[in-house]
Amino acid sequence: MKMTPMAVVVGSLMLLAAIVFMVVYMPWATRVEEPSEILRPRSDVEARGRALYIANGCVYCHSQSIRTIDWGLGAERIAQAGDYILDQPILLGSARTGPDLSQEGGEHPDDWHIAHFTNPRYTRTLSIMPAVAYLGQQNLEDLTAYVQGLGLKQADRRMQRQRFWKQEAIRAYEAGPVANVEWLHATVPEGWRNLPNPYPTSEAGLARGHKLYQDFCLGCHGPVGDGMGPAQPYLYPPPLNFTILKDRGISGGILYYQIMNGITGTAMPYFKKELESEKIWDVGNYVAVYFINQSDANTEPRGIDAANEP
Amino acid sequence: MTTDAHTADQPYLTAKGFCITSGLWLVVATFMGLLGATELIAPDLTENIGWLVFGRIRPIHVNLVLFGFVTPGLLGAAFYYFPRLLRTRIYSDKLGVVTVLLWNLTLVAAVVSLAAGHTQGREYAEMIWPIDMLVVAVFVLVFINLIMTVRQRREPVLYVSVWYVCAAVVLTGATFSLGNVIWQPTSGALVGIPDAILLWFYGHNVFGLLLTPLAAGVAYYVIPRACQSPLYSHTLSLLGFWSLIVVYTHIGTHHLLQVPVPTWLKVISIVDSVAMVIPVMAFLINIWYTARGRLGAIHADIGAKFVFTGTIMYFFVSIQGSMMALPQVQRVTHFNNWVVAHAHVGVLGFAGMIALGGLYYVLPRIAGKPLYSRFLADFQYWMVLIGVVGFTSVLTIAGLVQGHAWLNGETVYRVIPQIHVYYVYRAALGLMIFISAVLGLYNILRTLYFNPGEAR
Repeated sequence: MKMTPMAVVVGSLMLLAAIVFMVVYMPWATRVEEPSEILRPRSDVEARGRALYIANGCVYCHSQSIRTIDWGLGAERIAQAGDYILDQPILLGSARTGPDLSQEGGEHPDDWHIAHFTNPRYTRTLSIMPAVAYLGQQNLEDLTAYVQGLGLKQADRRMQRQRFWKQEAIRAYEAGPVANVEWLHATVPEGWRNLPNPYPTSEAGLARGHKLYQDFCLGCHGPVGDGMGPAQPYLYPPPLNFTILKDRGISGGILYYQIMNGITGTAMPYFKKELESEKIWDVGNYVAVYFINQSDANTEPRGIDAANEP
Repeated sequence: MTTDAHTADQPYLTAKGFCITSGLWLVVATFMGLLGATELIAPDLTENIGWLVFGRIRPIHVNLVLFGFVTPGLLGAAFYYFPRLLRTRIYSDKLGVVTVLLWNLTLVAAVVSLAAGHTQGREYAEMIWPIDMLVVAVFVLVFINLIMTVRQRREPVLYVSVWYVCAAVVLTGATFSLGNVIWQPTSGALVGIPDAILLWFYGHNVFGLLLTPLAAGVAYYVIPRACQSPLYSHTLSLLGFWSLIVVYTHIGTHHLLQVPVPTWLKVISIVDSVAMVIPVMAFLINIWYTARGRLGAIHADIGAKFVFTGTIMYFFVSIQGSMMALPQVQRVTHFNNWVVAHAHVGVLGFAGMIALGGLYYVLPRIAGKPLYSRFLADFQYWMVLIGVVGFTSVLTIAGLVQGHAWLNGETVYRVIPQIHVYYVYRAALGLMIFISAVLGLYNILRTLYFNPGEAR
């Protein structure tokens, strides 16, 4: 084959045109135009927040694309082409340096996000996300609105739930510590309330609890459990001061349930996806021993001692 | 590949300009990479300095490496070997110098606008429309200069390096315009899933139709010259060239295997990703058989040493890339640092190494004097080699930790502290690469200016 300038330039351009037709034009011509069941247009404030998300490069660390294999990660819904048909540009992302955000909307109340954006380590002590307080309050609120809309109609349902329970939580908080603790306990199902921590307090268990407390709890509840962590000024109702729980009917079961399930409407997230059973018992007992100074670990009814107990 | 009176006394101003551009932006680009890597270890280091936030530093790093360091470096060599291979002078050094200046202006505009948060948010296509236009303009200017040089040639046969460079410039001009959706100035994007398909078609072709053919062009020039042996096979050159254009352009969707895109398109991308062994091995067998028995000559020339090492990296990155396109492999490797490691073997290990090799091969010949410091160039060689191998090792480990932990049901947050130590190693290795880039720039400038060596 004789390679002339014409052969090189025109030949390669013709090949490119044919291939573009196949792998770019054809997928476009046959694209999905049906909206998925969660699709809705974004509001103006959400669109502004999305522009901030793009401008500050959030997309480099956060995917918005839940894969079938993410069921193993606890995902509830797999991405569909119909979720994206209004997105220009689409923000699938290519890395999970931070978590996927496709269904982030309504996972936390707004004030949690403001604290998190101000400095991510206020709410998540091990986070490596940059602080974005430089955006200013108005922009932080827009960005929060965008994130709270991720998941679209599903996010809207979760946000409704957040707003309802936030009112309840504020009412309880403003009624004073006694009423607040009563309300917090009353939200835990009966069976859990009477359940003591089934494992005895041990040095090793407290050490594990201490580490977990630093990694997950300290940002809001503070290093001494008085609810004065760095996120506290941003949150309302504020994080619980554990010391007020003493002699007010606290149990290992209540601590376990609240850590596992979170308290929707407040900044208290659920930890059931991040902590397995033993870790929740351990961090609950750490709080009970050090901050409440009242632990029911290993009291009756406790069943048969577990095989690993000393 | 002979020289004669027509080529002997050229100033090579365009080549010189591109070489300096490459050396300069390598320093800036590696600094940005180092800064980003450090922010992943110490996220509050630049707390609330908006234009230094990780999400803005990262695209600056990536765009500068691609368009500031590697592309100009490879073009610098091309503007040297085009006149020599074609036995003529460069069409217009005046146009070439204007192109270099415009290129640098474009890069400055890209850095400033990205740092200020003006981005279209699409990976490798971040730059806003006016800057896209500047990029297209410089590609057009480069193409005019090269194709006119081809037209005024006195050598009837076009050597394979010339094919590669001409095709790279014209095809990238086209895919860049397409991928940046330049008919949509505001958004620079399509809507929905087709936007992702187009983006990764273009994104992967930055490597497939720009860096790879330009690097192949340099390797095809430097290795036979350094070895003083004829190219092994013309047939393999042809096979490698045409199969690269056909196969590479089909594989972009392997970035989207876990996304709802049409299955037939995924199948095409996987099959062609595996078929990448054809262009890769056609090129490598050709180069390696040319160098067969003559590794001493390669070792003796620092430029050829860089280039030859780059071809070895090309082998690894391509075989790895073919494997990563397999869905079973990608279940572990997608979304994590494995991919970052892969990208660095490709862009720094392969294309970057060959760009540096091209620089160090042509600089003494342009200057008419030996390289200012062979030691500094060797030092840079080892720093980049250790840097990129170490980088790949630690990030691959981090990626495996992440990928397996996620498949095991761990959340992303739980795995962050587990990979911290690898981030520390990565930043340390990045520091080595950055320091060697600074010394490299010094070496380049001293070779061209204030060179105490004797003219030859």
